[in-house]
Amino acid sequence: MHPQIAAIFEEAESRYLKAEELKTLSHYVDSLPERLEAYRQLQEKELDVMQVVADRLQDGFPQEDTQMLERSIKNALLMLRYCALAMLLDNEFFVKERLLSWLRSTQQTYNTQTIDATLHKLLNLQLSQALSSQQMSLLKPLLNLAQTALLEQ
Amino acid sequence: MISVADLLTNNRLPSNYFAAETYVRSELELGLLENRRGDRLLAMPETLVQAIYSGLDKETGQASRLVLYNCGRWWGKNFYARFCEELTDYYKTPIADMAMGEFIQYLQQCWIVHGWGKFNIDRTASHQGFLTIETWNSPFAAHAPKSDRPICFLDAGIFSAFFSQLSGRELDCIQTTCESLGADRNRFILGLAERLKPAESMVEKQLPHEEIIQKLTDN
Repeated sequence: MHPQIAAIFEEAESRYLKAEELKTLSHYVDSLPERLEAYRQLQEKELDVMQVVADRLQDGFPQEDTQMLERSIKNALLMLRYCALAMLLDNEFFVKERLLSWLRSTQQTYNTQTIDATLHKLLNLQLSQALSSQQMSLLKPLLNLAQTALLEQ
Repeated sequence: MISVADLLTNNRLPSNYFAAETYVRSELELGLLENRRGDRLLAMPETLVQAIYSGLDKETGQASRLVLYNCGRWWGKNFYARFCEELTDYYKTPIADMAMGEFIQYLQQCWIVHGWGKFNIDRTASHQGFLTIETWNSPFAAHAPKSDRPICFLDAGIFSAFFSQLSGRELDCIQTTCESLGADRNRFILGLAERLKPAESMVEKQLPHEEIIQKLTDN
């Protein structure tokens, strides 16, 4: 749940929600059908999108050890799933804390930054074709957050 | 050709088993702390850590170092068994098939989630048969009594037993720098007992860590 909304519920234990608090809540609820639809689309198209990315990535790194490429693809799948969940719940926490603390150390261990940089570009291109521009605008801030943090290292 | 579908196990992607939000659970009404498998966890207040140190010192004096080291060995042995069991259960991969980098990453996360601080392995001297383990934010260093020597004998015992089991060789462990003495982190050297032996007197002489490693690898 969005931290702001969680805070509203905590605040409202012994009173009714104020008008502006209800507004924040209804803003999120109104956006929910769209978020759910984007989430469903991602779930449905994940494998196809990622297979195209994997094929192109292999073309781009023909000499690279397959295990390294597979590791990066797995990490990208994980990134996508966390971003999808963060998008659905409108909560960056899943990306900032849960995903990044984990992926940063994986990336450092295996030194996959160069592969990841290309992979992210391929992934973003495929996603923008698979999702509507509205759905992409919901997902994009979270993807940016994750990708920037991972490539900054 | 990489098949993305084959990279998933039952459409599942295992990530950080030791993520704090999912790993530690509590039954507040029963006053219980558990991990995600339902195994009991023990919360140790600072007072208890301090009391263990001072109680042991009163009861056993100088021998308290050895007692702590041996307690660490016992703990480390059981910890290794539990750790491997949890990893195998969750990642569905036998320990022998895990890459060393992954195994260490899991151990680092495990260290953090249990509140033991952060953990790193320096393999620079591994070809000469020595590993350096670095920890920082260690509660066992933070609440140790004042001393002029490194004090984390419990940790040294844990590392000795844990890595002995992992490597299948009997390894000893000695601490060279300690947060309780103002160092930026705790450093421990792991190696075969007879090769590590000379480090004891070097620590007594308060030689810096790098110099100790240098002398050990020159031998």
